[in-house]
Amino acid sequence: MTVTDTQMRLLIVEDDRESADYLVKAFREVGYVADHAGDGEEGLSLADTGEYDVLVIDRMLPKRDGLSLIGSLREKGNRTPALILSALGQVDDRIKGLRAGGDDYLPKPYSFAELLARVEVLSRRHGGPAEETTYRVGDLELDRLSHRVARGKDELTLQPREFRLLEYLMKHAGQVVTRTMLLENVWDYHFDPQTNVIDVHISRLRSKIDKGFERPLLHTIRGAGYMIRDGLR
Amino acid sequence: MTAFGKLIRTTAFRLTLVYLFLFALFAASLLGYFAWNTRRLITEQITTTVNAEIGEISDIFGRRGLRGLVLTIENRALRPGANLYLVTTPAGQAIAGNVGSLAPGVMATTGWSETDYRRLDEQDTADHRALLRVTELSSGFRLLIGRDLEERRRLFGIVANAAQWSVLIVVVLGLGGGIFVARRVLRRIDAMTGTTQRIMAGDLSGRLPVGRSGDELDRLAENLNAMLERIEALMMGLKEVSDNIAHDLKTPLTRLRNRAEEALAKSGSEAEYRGALERTIEESDGLIRTFNALLMIARAESGQARGNMDNFDAADVANGIHELYEPLAEDDGMTLHVKTEPAPLHGNRELISQALANLVENAIKYGKPVVAPQPLGADAVAKAPSKEILIEARRIGDQVQLSVTDHGPGIPPADRKHAVERFVRLEASRTQPGSGLGLSLASAVATLHGGDLRLGDAYPGLTATLAIPALSAHDGVAAQTHDVPQKVA
Repeated sequence: MTVTDTQMRLLIVEDDRESADYLVKAFREVGYVADHAGDGEEGLSLADTGEYDVLVIDRMLPKRDGLSLIGSLREKGNRTPALILSALGQVDDRIKGLRAGGDDYLPKPYSFAELLARVEVLSRRHGGPAEETTYRVGDLELDRLSHRVARGKDELTLQPREFRLLEYLMKHAGQVVTRTMLLENVWDYHFDPQTNVIDVHISRLRSKIDKGFERPLLHTIRGAGYMIRDGLR
Repeated sequence: MTAFGKLIRTTAFRLTLVYLFLFALFAASLLGYFAWNTRRLITEQITTTVNAEIGEISDIFGRRGLRGLVLTIENRALRPGANLYLVTTPAGQAIAGNVGSLAPGVMATTGWSETDYRRLDEQDTADHRALLRVTELSSGFRLLIGRDLEERRRLFGIVANAAQWSVLIVVVLGLGGGIFVARRVLRRIDAMTGTTQRIMAGDLSGRLPVGRSGDELDRLAENLNAMLERIEALMMGLKEVSDNIAHDLKTPLTRLRNRAEEALAKSGSEAEYRGALERTIEESDGLIRTFNALLMIARAESGQARGNMDNFDAADVANGIHELYEPLAEDDGMTLHVKTEPAPLHGNRELISQALANLVENAIKYGKPVVAPQPLGADAVAKAPSKEILIEARRIGDQVQLSVTDHGPGIPPADRKHAVERFVRLEASRTQPGSGLGLSLASAVATLHGGDLRLGDAYPGLTATLAIPALSAHDGVAAQTHDVPQKVA
C-alpha cells in the first residue's frame, strides 16, 4: 500500500470484528488510510510506531484496555491524538477517559458522521497551524483579540456566545462540526438536548453573517452538522 | 421436631426453668430459716420456764422441806398441760411426779438432756420426747423438770409440710406459666414464620400479624411490615418501570421495523429508499436518547454520580441554560427570562444543568397559555395570557431553589406526583414529541443531591422547582449529599 503525504493515517483499535470492518471501510471511502488492531497489545505496538495521525480506541479491549493503552503511549511521549469510543457514555466516564490522556470521547452508539467530524478536528489540531489571532473565511474576518467580526466592509455585532460559536466554526473552517461538538465546545454541556436548540443558535448566527450577502458561508451538512466555508473554494 | 420439643427449646420456656429453680430455692430457704428460728425460740422458751420453775421449787424445798416439795409437785403435775416432774430419793426411788418411765441413766446425770419418756397416766406404749433438766437438791434428792417437745415437733411438721406444698405449687405454676407463655410466643413466631415463608414464595402482599399489646414482638412485626411495605413499593416500581420500558422502547422499535419492512416490500425509487433510511436513523437516534436518559436516571437514583461533585453557583447554571434556550423560546413565540441571586451549592453541575434544561424544554413545549373561553359578563380586565417563562435561582434558608415558571395550563394537583414518574406523559402532552423522561430525570437529580423536585401552581401555569440543600458558608463540602432520602418509585 502506498501512502501519500496528503492522506490521513488512522488506527482503529476495536475488538468487535464487524464494527471494525465497518469503520475501516467507511474511513477508506472518505480517503483515509485505516489500519485495524483487534486487541490492546496489538494496538499499542502499532500505535507505538508513531505513523498515525489519529487513533480511534475502544474503551474495553482484550489483553489491555483502551485507557491503559493511551496511558502507556503518553508515558513514552507519544502524543498522537486519541479518540475513545465507549459504551459507557456517562459524564464521569468521559472525564476519566480524558484524564487518561484521551483527546476526545464518543459514546456508543455513534453516527459515522459524528466520528468522522471529530477525527478530522483531532487531526487538524495535531498537525495544524498554531492558534491564529485572526480567522478568515472568504470575506468574513474574526479578530480573536479585539473580538471584532466583519464581513467585507460591514462590521457585525455579535453576542458573546455568538462570537464563540463563530470562533469555533471558523477555527475548524472547511470541516464538518456536529451539534454535539458545538454543545460540548462552545457551551461546555455534555448532555443531549431533546430539542433543536443548537439549530436555533446557528440560524441566528446565520442571519447575522449571511443575511443580505450573495454568497452564504455557513452551510448545513445534512445528517451531520454545520460547516463554515467559502463556497467558491 | 415435635411440638413439645419445639416448646421446650423456646427462650421463654428456658427462662421459665431458670426462674423456677431460683424461686423454689428461695421458698425452701425461707421456710428453712423460719423452721430453724422457731425451733430455737421454742427451745429457749422451754429452758427459761424450766430454769424458773427449778429455782422456784428449790426454794420451796428449802423452806418447807420434802413434804412441801412433794405437795407442790403433785399439785402442779395434775394441772392440764403440765410440765414433767419427777423427784427421786438419794437411792433413786421416785417419790413424786408424773413421769412413768424414763430412758435409763437420765436421773444419774444433772443438767440438760433430751430424752424419751412416758407419763404415768398414759395407757399407750408410745414414747414421747422431752427436754428436761435434772438438778440435785440438798441431801441427795434429785428433781427433774422438763417439757414435752410435741409442740415443737408439730410446728416443725407444719413448716415442713408448707415447704413441700409451696415448692410443689411454685413448680406447677411456674411450669404451667412457662408452657403458656412459650406456647403463646411460639404461636406468634410460627405465624410470623408462616407469613415470611409465603412472602419468600412470592406473595409480597403478605403482612405479619400485629397484636394490640405493643410488646417487643408487635414492634418487631410492625417494623418488618414497614420494611415489607417498602420492598413491595420498590418491586412495584421496578415492575412498572420495566413494563414502561418494554412499552416505550418496543413501540419505536416496532415502528422502525415496520418502516424497514415497508421500504423493502415496495420497489421504490432511490429517493424513497433514502427517505426510509433517514427516518430509520432518526428513529434510532430517538431510541438512543431514551436509553441514555434511562441510564442517567438509573445512575442518579443509585447515587453513582456522586463522584463528580464540586462547588458552584446555581445562578451560573440558570444563566447558562437561559442563554442556551433563549433563542429557541423566542422562535416558539415565547419569552425566556432569568432572575438570579448567588446560590452556592455542592453537586454535579452537569446533571443539574441537564435537569434545569429539561424543565425549560418542558416549559417551552407545554407552557403555552390556553385561551380559555371567557364566560359572559366575566371580569372585563382579565389578564392577557402571558407567554413568559421565568428561570429563577434563589437561596431560601439553607436551600437552593432552581425553578422554571410558565403560564401554560399547568398540571392539576392530582397529577403532579404521577407526572414525575418515568415515561408518564400526561394526556395533554401526548401529541408532543418527547420521551416522557424529562421530569423523572430532574427528580432523580434532585434526589441525588438530597433535595426534591416540586411541582406547584403558578396561577395559571406550572412552577417546577429543584430544591437542593445549599452549600453553607462554613462546611465547604456539603455533608448533606449522603444519607439521601430515597424516592419511592
